[in-house]
Amino acid sequence: MGYVKEERPMTIGVEGTWNIGSYHYKGSRLIEEYVKGLKQKKLIGSFCPGCGKVIVPPRNLCGRCHRIMDRRKIVSNMGTITCFIVSPPIEKGKLKVLGMDPVETGLIKEGEVVIPVFVKFDGSDSNTDTILLNADPKAVHIGMRVKVLWVKEPQGALSDFEGVEPV
Amino acid sequence: MRRNVAIIGCGQTKHSSKRRDVNLAEMVSEAVYNALEDAQVSPRDVDAFVVGNMQGFGGIAQPEQWLGDSIGAPGKSVIRIATGGTTGGSVGQGAYYTVASGLHDVAVAVAWEKHSDSKEAGATTGLLHVGLGNFFHAASYGLSLKNLVATSAVGAAAGVAVYQAMFYMYRSGCSIEHFDMVAAKARRNAAKNKYAHLQWPGCTQEDIAKTEMVVYPFRYGHICPASDGASAIVVAEENLARKKARQPAWFKGLAAYSDEENQLQSENFGGVGVLDPSEQKGCWMSATKAYEMAGIKDPKKEIDIAEVYQPFPSQELIFAERLGLFDEGTAWMALEKGETDIDGRMPLDPSGGVNATNAIGSTALQRILECALQIMGKAEEHQVPRKVHNAVAHGWGGVTSYITVTVLGDSPGR
Repeated sequence: MGYVKEERPMTIGVEGTWNIGSYHYKGSRLIEEYVKGLKQKKLIGSFCPGCGKVIVPPRNLCGRCHRIMDRRKIVSNMGTITCFIVSPPIEKGKLKVLGMDPVETGLIKEGEVVIPVFVKFDGSDSNTDTILLNADPKAVHIGMRVKVLWVKEPQGALSDFEGVEPV
Repeated sequence: MRRNVAIIGCGQTKHSSKRRDVNLAEMVSEAVYNALEDAQVSPRDVDAFVVGNMQGFGGIAQPEQWLGDSIGAPGKSVIRIATGGTTGGSVGQGAYYTVASGLHDVAVAVAWEKHSDSKEAGATTGLLHVGLGNFFHAASYGLSLKNLVATSAVGAAAGVAVYQAMFYMYRSGCSIEHFDMVAAKARRNAAKNKYAHLQWPGCTQEDIAKTEMVVYPFRYGHICPASDGASAIVVAEENLARKKARQPAWFKGLAAYSDEENQLQSENFGGVGVLDPSEQKGCWMSATKAYEMAGIKDPKKEIDIAEVYQPFPSQELIFAERLGLFDEGTAWMALEKGETDIDGRMPLDPSGGVNATNAIGSTALQRILECALQIMGKAEEHQVPRKVHNAVAHGWGGVTSYITVTVLGDSPGR
């Protein structure tokens, strides 16, 4: 008994794909309450009776007190940036997401600088991760005041909330 | 009553981006037999194996079924553990429990990753399943593709850690130059570790600063590699440990705590209640518990070296503070003074750490292994230049908030 290795300088590479299959993931109805709020340009969160935190989007259980968060609260459309990161100018052929080039598909403009941010909306106790739009990348800072940028005609979808912009 | 347990042998493979000379089973057994040889233990003396790698990585769901024969596992107890990035930490702790409980006298912990078997960067099959249910749920409610691209993909490999880094910079006052310093130190240390992946003798802060910005505040030179490699330790009960090893590395304390998911979305697209993802409460809880078990009252004075899980340089600073080795927001000042160098007051990652070598399933076990090498005096060129009495090994993973902390020492401590 001991270390066994086939006598050869190199392994043989064999191509293969793994289809990990199709599933029925189980979602919660809470997201429906949230998107109904978005249609009315309202941000809905859930309230924890244990620690008093308001979490946006709403969730069933408080992560730390494990209490059921069955009350809803509407929080402000205005908030504060708690964290940001800044991409270099995005160029065609540099980034692939879900198998597509976001510049080629028009999701991001050639040379666009993308600024993902965390925002704590007034009246909430959570960060919402989204993007900062209509802003100078050099001016962005932690503590910057922002407001929700809604699409012109909200449809009751997560995409009603385009991002945030400076106040 | 738990028994005293020690590490009596360590084995690793050489790490590189493509180990084309071996298949997965051969690579894992290379580490196992190196560890057995180091421990001077026959494969017949091993009672149990605790094994692990990232779920689904390398395109194999149950690798233990394949490699069992190669490591001599048939007819023996085999447990596979997979806890994301902390897998290796959990595997090492699993071997401890196996022996400390009295169930077995000798156990081998082995963990690995063979990234290059996947054609996708980061072997994403394994990572995607964490969030797929949430993703499809959100997609069915009109998730904005632009938002998805921007928030999830711009960070790419740096993803979750880049936000942590920004929070830490803001509250501690450190700057991107400190991340350059940590990454340069990792590559310099790795150059002294014959098993490490990204070795760069004499690498300087300026060398790292010249690399391309991936997403502010992370440069290309800050980011860990994807490595092929494996590591193994032989864990034994007290009598055998004393007989076999001149200086065993004793398990003195260990713990594994989690906080709530703290960065992305909770289940069903719900928000999260942790405002600062660099808070890492799970690490503070794990360290407190592990030190208590180890009888360590002041880790700043009693810990001699730490192997911190730091795929990104900011994490060395964040977690060194959470492990109680520096006061809140001051680790970067100690870095500036050279205190975290191999010959410093509190060497951090003398092996080069995860920032230089990242075979994900194996990396947290490597932290334990490297602490053991330092205690046993077997770290060769990256051995710290003073006697190591206590060392702390850390792992980070799960849903960005699951932590393993293991304290090893040169005596059982009880």
